[in-house]
Amino acid sequence: MHFITGGAFNGKRSWVKNNFNIMNSNWLSAYEGHPLPVELDDITADLIVLEGIEIWIKGLTEEHDAAQCRVIWNRCLTHWERWEKTKNHQLILIGTDMTKGIVPIEKENRIWRDVTGWAFQDLAAKADKVDVIWYGINQTIKGGMIV
Amino acid sequence: MAHVPSLVFITGGVRSGKSSFAEKLAVYLAAKTGGQLTYLATGVPSDEEMKERILKHKQDRKSGELPWKTIEKSAQIGDAARQIHQQDIVLLDCITTLLNNELFSSKQTWDAAFLQQVEESIITGIKQIKSRAKALILVSNEVLYEPLTGNNLVYTYGSLLGRLHQQMVREADQAYLIEAGIPILMKEVRG
Repeated sequence: MHFITGGAFNGKRSWVKNNFNIMNSNWLSAYEGHPLPVELDDITADLIVLEGIEIWIKGLTEEHDAAQCRVIWNRCLTHWERWEKTKNHQLILIGTDMTKGIVPIEKENRIWRDVTGWAFQDLAAKADKVDVIWYGINQTIKGGMIV
Repeated sequence: MAHVPSLVFITGGVRSGKSSFAEKLAVYLAAKTGGQLTYLATGVPSDEEMKERILKHKQDRKSGELPWKTIEKSAQIGDAARQIHQQDIVLLDCITTLLNNELFSSKQTWDAAFLQQVEESIITGIKQIKSRAKALILVSNEVLYEPLTGNNLVYTYGSLLGRLHQQMVREADQAYLIEAGIPILMKEVRG
C-alpha cells in the first residue's frame, strides 16, 4: 500500500496521475460519493486508487464511536493488504491532512479529526511507502530508497 | 558569481519565522548583487491594529543596514512592475493578504469568472514583476491543514490559495517551508 497525504489543494491527485500509469486503474473517490470499499475482490483492475480517506472516516464517525471506527478501519486495511498481496495488485490511498488547525468548535468535528489522525497513523504503519505532497512536490517519508 | 534565484517561494505557519527569513534572504541577495531592496507592501491600514503592525514592520526595515524602498500596492500588483528596476530585490509579504484584498475589496460575487480573474491577476502580476526584477521573494501562509468542508467560503478560498501556491512553487527556482524558524529547502533549480 502506498499512502499519499498532504494538505488540501496541494496537488496530491495530480501527483498520483503523473507518477502512476492510471490508464487501467480503478479510481474510487469519496469526493464523488463513492462508498468506503471494504472489500476490493470484485474489482478487476490491478491498480486501485482510493481517494478522500478522510471523507470515509467522517462517514464512519457518524455511525460509530471512535474506538469502533478504528476497529472497522483496521479491518479494511487487513482486507486491502490481502488483496494487494495477490497477483500484481497495487493499492494507492490518498488522504488530506486536516490535523494541523485550531481545535474545531463542534464535538463531531473534533472526533472526526481525531479518528482521521489515528486512521492515518494505522495506514502509514501498514503502508510500504508514504509520500507527503507539498504544492506538487513529494517527500518520501517511508519506504524510500536508502542510498 | 554565485547563482541568484529569480523567484523564491516561502511559506510556513503563523509565527514560524517566515517573514524574518524572507527579509534576511532579501538583504543577503541585495548585498551580493548590489541591488535595491524593495518592499512590495500589500497591507491596507484598515484599523488601529493593522496601522501599528505596518508601522512596526516599517521601523524594522529602517533599522537594517541596507535601505529599503517601499512600493504600496494592495491589489493588481502587475501595475507596480513599471516601478521595479532590473537590479531590484523585491519582497512580497504576503500572498494571503494580497488574495484577501483582491477577493474582498470589491462587492463582487465569487463566481467562477471572478475567481479566475483574481487568480490570473495574481499570477500575471508575479510574472511581470519577476521579469523586471533581479529577484522576487514571495511569502505565504500554510492554512490548508484543517477541515475546509462545511463552509463554502472557506472551501473556495482554500482551493484558490492552493492552486496559487502550486503555480508559484512550479515557477520558483527556490521554495522553502519554514518550521519553527528553520528553513527547509523543498525545491532548488540552478539555472
